[in-house]
This record gives sequence, C-alpha cells and structure tokens, in this order.
Amino acid sequence: MNRVKKFFKYDNVGIFFVLPALLYMIIFVGYPIISNFILSFQDVTVKTLLSDVKEFVGLRNYIELFKQDNILTTSLWNTLIFTVACLVFQFIIGFALAVFFNKKFAISKPIRGLLMMPWMIPITVTGLIFKFMFGTDVGIINYFLKGLGLITENIDWLTNTATAMPAVIFANIWIGIPFNMILISTGLSTIPTELYESASIDGANKFQAFRKITLPLLRPTIESVLILGFIYTFKVYDLVYVMTSGGPVNSTQMLSTYSYKLSFEMFKYSKGAAVANILFVILFFVSLFYLKFTYSQEEA
Amino acid sequence: MGPEVSLSKRNNVLYCVIAILLLCILLFPLYWMFVTSIKTEKEIFQIPPTFWPEVLNLKSYAAQLKSGDFNMFQSFGNSLIISIGAMVIAVILAVPASYGIAKYHFKGRKSVVLVFLVTQMLPVSVLLTPLFIMFKNLHLYNTVWSAILADATIGIPFSVLILRNYFASIPKEMEEAAYIDGCNKFTAFMRVLIPIAKPGVIVCAIFSFLYAWGDLAYGMTFIIDQQKRPITAGIFNFMGQYGTKWSYLSAFAIVTIIPVALIFIFMQKYIITGMTSGAVKG
Repeated sequence: MNRVKKFFKYDNVGIFFVLPALLYMIIFVGYPIISNFILSFQDVTVKTLLSDVKEFVGLRNYIELFKQDNILTTSLWNTLIFTVACLVFQFIIGFALAVFFNKKFAISKPIRGLLMMPWMIPITVTGLIFKFMFGTDVGIINYFLKGLGLITENIDWLTNTATAMPAVIFANIWIGIPFNMILISTGLSTIPTELYESASIDGANKFQAFRKITLPLLRPTIESVLILGFIYTFKVYDLVYVMTSGGPVNSTQMLSTYSYKLSFEMFKYSKGAAVANILFVILFFVSLFYLKFTYSQEEA
Repeated sequence: MGPEVSLSKRNNVLYCVIAILLLCILLFPLYWMFVTSIKTEKEIFQIPPTFWPEVLNLKSYAAQLKSGDFNMFQSFGNSLIISIGAMVIAVILAVPASYGIAKYHFKGRKSVVLVFLVTQMLPVSVLLTPLFIMFKNLHLYNTVWSAILADATIGIPFSVLILRNYFASIPKEMEEAAYIDGCNKFTAFMRVLIPIAKPGVIVCAIFSFLYAWGDLAYGMTFIIDQQKRPITAGIFNFMGQYGTKWSYLSAFAIVTIIPVALIFIFMQKYIITGMTSGAVKG
C-alpha cells in the first residue's frame, strides 16, 4: 500500500512541471478556440465587439456564407487546388533532390544545407521576392520566358485572374521543397545499404531496387510528409496575403485570407470567425487522422 | 539509388557540378533580391536587366537611417524584442513541461501530449479575433506584448514535443546518481538534466525565435502603430503605400533576412535536427 502511495505521489509531481505551459496554452489557445466558436454563432460588429451583450443568431452566419455569396465555395476550392498542386510538385522535386544529395559526393552535405534557406526566411519576404519576380514589366520571370521564346508579350501574372494562382503556387513550392527534401533524406538514410547490395547480387537493376526496396521502406516517411504537408499548406496565409491579398477578384482567395478579410477589413467578425472555424474543423480532422496514423506506426 | 554509395572520381566531379547548378537555380530569388537592393531605382527597371549593378547604390540602406514614415531599423529592433520575448517564454515553459511529460507517468499524460500536437497544426485565423478582443480588454492591444504572447503559442508546443525526446533519452541512472550526490528533484533537473538536454534547448530557442521573427498575422493585427510594429508588418504596410519602390523593398527584405542568415550560418546542424525531429513547418 505504501509503495503504491509513493508511486502515485512520484508520478503526480510531473503535473506541476507541465502545468505552467499547459495553462499558457489553455489561456492563449484553448479559450480563443472556444470563444471563436461562440463568436461564429453571434452577430458581432465593431460596436458590440467589446461589449458583453452580443446577439445570438445560431447558424445564420454559416447559412449565409454558403447560400448568399459563393466566395466561401470559391475559397474552399482555391485552398484545395492550391494545396494539392503545391504538394504534388514540392514532393516530386523534394524527392528527386533527396535522392540526388544522398549520393556521397564531395560537397553534397554543405549544398544540401544551403538549400534549406528558402524554408527559413520569413514568408513575408518570400512573398515580396516573388511579387517582384512575377511583376509584369519589372519581373525577371517574364524576361526569362521571353528569352526562351515561350511568350512574346509580358504576362500580368498577379493581376490576371487566370495566372495569379499558378504564380502563388510557384512561390509556395519554392518554400516547400526543402521541407520535403530534408524529411525524405532522413528517411533514405535509415535504409541499410546491404539491402541494395544483396539486391544487385540477385540481379536487380536500379529501377527494380527503387521500386522494391526504396519505396516500400520509405512509405511511412512519404505518408507523414504528405499529410503534414497538407496541413501546413492548407492553412497558408502570409504568402497569399502578401502576394495578392486574395485577388484579383478572389481568384487566389483562400479560407485563411477570406476569414481575415471578413474580420479585419470588412469588420464582419462573426462571419470571419465562421470561415476560420470551417478551416479549423477540416484541419482538425486531418490532424486526428495523422495522429492516429503516427500512433499506429509507433506501436507497430 | 542506394544511400551513401561511393562514387568514382569522374562521377564525383559531375555530381558536384550538377549540385552547384541546382543551388544557383534554387537560390536565385535570394540573389536577385540582394542585387536589386544595391541597384538604383532606374537600373531596376532597365531592360535587359543587369545581373550585377552597373552603378553600385547603397542609398536604399542609408535612407533608412533617417526617420521616414517607415523606419526600418526601429522595426528591426521591435522584431528583435518580440522574437526574443516569445523565445524566452517558450523555452522557460517548455523545458519543465517536456521534462514532466518524459519522466513522469502522471494521469492524463497522453491527453496533454495530444493537446500540444493538435495546437501545432492550428491555423492562426481561429485565434486572431478572440485574441484581438482579449488583448483589447487586457490593454495589451497595440503593445509589443500582444505579439510576444501570441507568438509564444507557436514555439511552446514545438519545443515541448522536441525536448520530450531529449529528456526521454536520458537514462534514469543519471538522475539517480544526482540524488546520491545530494541533489533534490529541482537541483537534479537544473544541474544534471538541463545541461544534458542543452542541444535540444538550443533547437527550441532557435525555432521559437524564427517562428516569431517570421510572423506577419499577429504583428499586423495586434499592433497598429508603425513605430511599434515588427519589421514584417512594416514591410507589408510599406508595400501597400509605395508598392513599386523596389529598391527600398528589396533592402528591407535583405535586412529582414540577416538574423535568419546568421542563425543559419552558425547553427545549421541544430536547424536540420529541428526540422527532422519535429517535422514542423511554420
């Protein structure tokens, strides 16, 4: 009995170490999440934002968002297209680079290290750089494309509804490549070399070895890179806000930028909160899926 | 295709050449921003563009020393205060929390880990309006504190999850040896465990700093006065007002990158550790 008591006491001490951080997160994250949900069921304007009395309107904000304007549906689609396009390209390029830099040549490690830069610089700066490069007359991208003979007239990338999305996707791929590359590199380095040696003794060519050894052993890495990539890309905000602010005519409007626009430019706080909640719920389920997936891997 | 395969001399040279080419292509945007920042406004719009300035122009940087409507160096200082503040809060709270999670099997431990995991994946949009109201009520709105407190919420979960692995890997015997030497729980934690987990603490400090340094949404929403805003929000504001003054804008971009580049040069191994063990993107 005494030992049980002692054990219980010992382990309970742990809570006191965790408590400060946990309290912080409850105050500055947990409470806001709940109040954001409440906010989305009210009708809050600039006048009522700081008052205690707020009008309860039930699901009206959500219904209006879905029924009255189609910007919500547009943003939802844009976010999805943006995410999938970014994932596909940054994964393929990141994978190719990881395989390439996995070869043991003289400068592979330092160069791979330098390639991390795009991931680290503030996204506001990245947005600025690409806004400049995609400029109609000043932009180097139009200059290159003209030089290659691909276009004859300058494209107004960011002010044209057809080309703004590809431009924003392009910039985000640039940020995402290092993330994909480094995680896949780590995955590759855990595959024992002996497997490839014995495969080549058995007469397997490089392509077969890649398909039969690399891909299956890398599957857990690939899956977590893609799911994490989805989560981080789906909540994109800064990059799009800096490059296009969701325009022109909502052609790059994402859930996050639309929510921001509603809340802090149009001061429709409740509608903005509702859009943020839709984004949150989608990400929450994807996160749960991811967590379930990683937990089942840890157990396996 | 296999990992760590040695290459012949000829292939070695070939791979090095390809690697340098890849580097030049992928980092070209950064080079381009730098070159633009030292060109004159006239040369920036010149066609064909010059890949190294004909006339070296450092005025875009020098002009910032005089106070205009956007003082780059003041914003830089604000960003430093905000990022260091958020970093300190994140590290001070995350170090004991991760230790508690790694070493004590208290009730509800798994749910606590889950809370930190999920908060890492939150979109900022959900927190913006509620925090906006909260900071207004607490009279923290339009002060650097609002950004510090909000930015720390990104660093804390990341740091807890990373450090948990560091503490978990320290053998129990080491802690017990400290008790025999006369340490109590607290002094053992301070004098024995933290020094061993130091590389992990550095990773957390770096990432908490970088997350705060790169933040735009919080700094822009909670701080209105240009003189108090972080550099990211300052740049965004400047873009709105003088959208095509690229000589200034590129200089701002370069100055914003400086701390990141310094961290990158001196602490690269910590960054790769942080990215791979945390698998986290801001």
